[in-house]
Amino acid sequence: MTDEHKGQPLRVAKRLIKLTVNKETYEVEVHPSWTLYYLLHDRMGLTGAKMFCDRGACGSCTVIMEGRPILSCMTLAVECDEKTIETIEGIAAANHPLIDAYIKHHCMQCGYCTPGFIVTAKALLDKNPNPTELDVKEVLAGNLCRCGTYPQHLKAVLEAAENLRGG
Amino acid sequence: MAMKAPGDYQKLQAEGRYQVGADVPKVTFSEIGRRGVRRLDGYEKASGQAIYTRDIQLPGMLYARVLMSPYARAKIQRMDTAKAQALPGVRAIIRYDDVEVRDRMLNGCYFGPEWVAPRLAGWALKPIRPVLGDEAWYEGQPLAAVVAADSEDIAIKALRLVKVQWKELPFVLDQEEALRPDAPILRPGADTNLLERPRQSIQKGDVERGFREADRIIEFRARRNAHLWAGAELPSVVVRWNGEKLEMWVHEQQPYHAKMLLSEWLKVPMNRITVHSPYQGCAFGGRGNPANNSENGMNILAALLARRTRTPVKLLYDRREYFYGESADMMVGDFKVGAKNDGTITAVQMKNVFAVYMGTHGIDHFVENTKIPNLLCETSTADVSKGPAWWCRCEQLPNTFCFTLVFDHVAAELGLDPTEVALKNDGYDGHDITELSKYKREHGFPDRDSLRECIEAGKKAIGWDEKWHPPGTKRLPNGKKHGIAFTWNHEWDDTRGTGSAALMIENDGTVSIIGQQSDIGVNPWTSYCQIVADELGVRYEDVNIKPFTLDHGYALMSPDGSANLCTNGEVLRKAAQKAKKMLLDLAAQKFKGVEAEELDIKDSVIYMKGAPEGQKTLMEVVARTMPMSASVALWPEPPIITSAWHNQGLWGMALETGRPRLCRQAHFMEVEVDTETGEIEVTKVVNVNDVGKAISPETVEGQMYGGTYMGVGRALSEEMVWDENTGILLNRNLLDYKYATMLDCGPIETIIKETGMGHGPYGAVGVAEDIATVIPALLGPAVHNAIGEWIGEYPITADKVLKALGKSQERE
Repeated sequence: MTDEHKGQPLRVAKRLIKLTVNKETYEVEVHPSWTLYYLLHDRMGLTGAKMFCDRGACGSCTVIMEGRPILSCMTLAVECDEKTIETIEGIAAANHPLIDAYIKHHCMQCGYCTPGFIVTAKALLDKNPNPTELDVKEVLAGNLCRCGTYPQHLKAVLEAAENLRGG
Repeated sequence: MAMKAPGDYQKLQAEGRYQVGADVPKVTFSEIGRRGVRRLDGYEKASGQAIYTRDIQLPGMLYARVLMSPYARAKIQRMDTAKAQALPGVRAIIRYDDVEVRDRMLNGCYFGPEWVAPRLAGWALKPIRPVLGDEAWYEGQPLAAVVAADSEDIAIKALRLVKVQWKELPFVLDQEEALRPDAPILRPGADTNLLERPRQSIQKGDVERGFREADRIIEFRARRNAHLWAGAELPSVVVRWNGEKLEMWVHEQQPYHAKMLLSEWLKVPMNRITVHSPYQGCAFGGRGNPANNSENGMNILAALLARRTRTPVKLLYDRREYFYGESADMMVGDFKVGAKNDGTITAVQMKNVFAVYMGTHGIDHFVENTKIPNLLCETSTADVSKGPAWWCRCEQLPNTFCFTLVFDHVAAELGLDPTEVALKNDGYDGHDITELSKYKREHGFPDRDSLRECIEAGKKAIGWDEKWHPPGTKRLPNGKKHGIAFTWNHEWDDTRGTGSAALMIENDGTVSIIGQQSDIGVNPWTSYCQIVADELGVRYEDVNIKPFTLDHGYALMSPDGSANLCTNGEVLRKAAQKAKKMLLDLAAQKFKGVEAEELDIKDSVIYMKGAPEGQKTLMEVVARTMPMSASVALWPEPPIITSAWHNQGLWGMALETGRPRLCRQAHFMEVEVDTETGEIEVTKVVNVNDVGKAISPETVEGQMYGGTYMGVGRALSEEMVWDENTGILLNRNLLDYKYATMLDCGPIETIIKETGMGHGPYGAVGVAEDIATVIPALLGPAVHNAIGEWIGEYPITADKVLKALGKSQERE
């Protein structure tokens, strides 16, 4: 590819996008090659989304876009114009019961994948406030945890769901 | 002649050395062992606020990437970096033939730099390699060129523009093939692929006599294919030169070693190097210093680029590049075992051939854990065209692999209950458990039969007596074959290592633990604070740790093994006990006319024993003990800062020779095997660990869950797959290299036993490494129990099951 441009990368214009992150609106100039992960993590300082598998296998970079959990490492920032995004920082700032439940049940060991799990679980609870154990397992099976704290996540998510329902 | 009193340093030496014997706690447990203690790192990690090395960014920082070899074995003939250099945004390229790196090798070894261990230099990761060489010994090896650029993208593009003319050389992937006379010799200058140092023959008794005494001889062969740590956070290092001083942010388990090694290589005095070690996203040995690709290589290259560009540099690896570091158990073993009909094992012989490996041999747990009198282990290690192998949670993998397979083969061949075979052979170093009992009594330990207790609890939990059956005899209503298996081992009382820390009582009465420690997830800081709280008599909430920098001079034992808590718990206990003495001494002055011995502390309140009305808060007592004060003195008092160190080691300095392991663990696994598809499902695992004393029970359980998932993944699917024709590693990503997800294991039951028979603080032993190390081999016996056939190659994948059942078309 690069050879076709005599060793120089193809010049592509940056683009201005507008997006809402954790209820704040931002206008940012993004390069077309930037991923949403790069924009959030490296440019906006929202380091809760983590680079783990490096490309689409582990769920650690998950954020919620328009109500859906997505992999920010597989999403281009330019695609996010006019989009509403929620990250772990927003979920923590809102004091979501998942945070306390995760601490209580020791769902983190090294903690690197933890934000991705919580964001994924939050998206589930938004849609399904009364999930079964299998619902939780199926949703979180897409998130990898090398420390293997999986059984503790189940307890935490079910307990947070109960707390949210006012149980 | 009068004895000379020990000098101050001698006193300090003695204070830190472990004395063999039971630890009978003198403190009332309030926080220690309590459930529901809020973990210290919990909020930071759950809220996404925890900062890891990968998250560190400095203003103006450049991004660096290293070229990786595309060939399994090749040498560079010519390299042209002109186009890469001309790419806008490229700020520096260091080539293998540049003066900074030419002929310079990676330095040091597992124990630190060469000045610490000159005779061991290079040991740990053979062969010794240049920091940036021109010869590839495995595909994916970092070499040839490193680029620093304005962005990671530009650095990657620049590497693509580097034109290399390679000369491909013949390679070997299999360790047995590498030892054949016609194999190409891989290392320059060598005349064999046999790596000399790890070649060992360990002998105890006389195996031939043992075979003669046996009723049955059992022979089998087993193989473990490569897997690796594959930790969460990818490697990176950030380096900044502040004039002649160097500051770095590392992703390492042993930052102190990193500092020593870098100092040695760059000739920068250690006191000019500042090291930060933020939160660490996993390690499992993968961030142990020798593994830091390797022995310091990343740090050196980043420091050189930062010096050349006079700009901070962050050097990063991506996931593909982080696929090096095979676990320590890449091995093939031939076993011969003699046993009596009642299950008494009379002799074990094994011949193990490892690939690019250093360390354990396979026989060690028979020595440490059984009364078997005749043992022989012949180990050889071959160089192959794969990346360096390194300890990966943990170096005991070959030992647990051989131990489980020998015991379960014996039980299956004799038609005996494997739990009975275990109990029949329990012991240490050729002695039976009556000798262990004697040892326990002589050294003040409770005399409990740990293995029997673990087995009984586990059998009950899994329903062993109802479920255990002869191999291949139980088909379930769903059509699958049911299997159940058991294995056992000693505890991981590896209490090895050295740690140091200080305690400072702040002026508000809170307590700071001062001591660097890389957090890799085993929740150590919570446990340290629990210990300080109970020993000092303060509230748990009032204790905190400052673990992220080495600059204050204290470094707690690195978390590279179960060594963590068992060593550091002692450090914190001693420091707290010293601080308490100072505190009561000071308090006695405030109480007026009272001796320190008449005072005590509880919940951060100092009180007169037997007179509850006479109380002062900790804050009232220490309010003026400040390290600095306004120039107009406000009656300042000296600060209360104490420090302690601890050194303990079953190995290394071998301070505690003749220290048998007293606690045991028992593990049970159930599987269902689909004989049509070969698919194996692990439906239940029961872990029973005698941890001596659980300081933080939830943390212990977390390690038991996590170790099980890692173990099950290793057993079922974790495997690095190389292409035989090209020597290229094919699955350098986490989709094709499969570790366990939430759906890959059935319910896990964790049972904690606390016999107090550990050599660690309060009778504790480690637990973080062992389950992931013991569980993988257990799948073989479980599948054998299900289908009646042994599968001798791990991981045990569906194709191997079908082959064992004679359903595969694949030719041998």
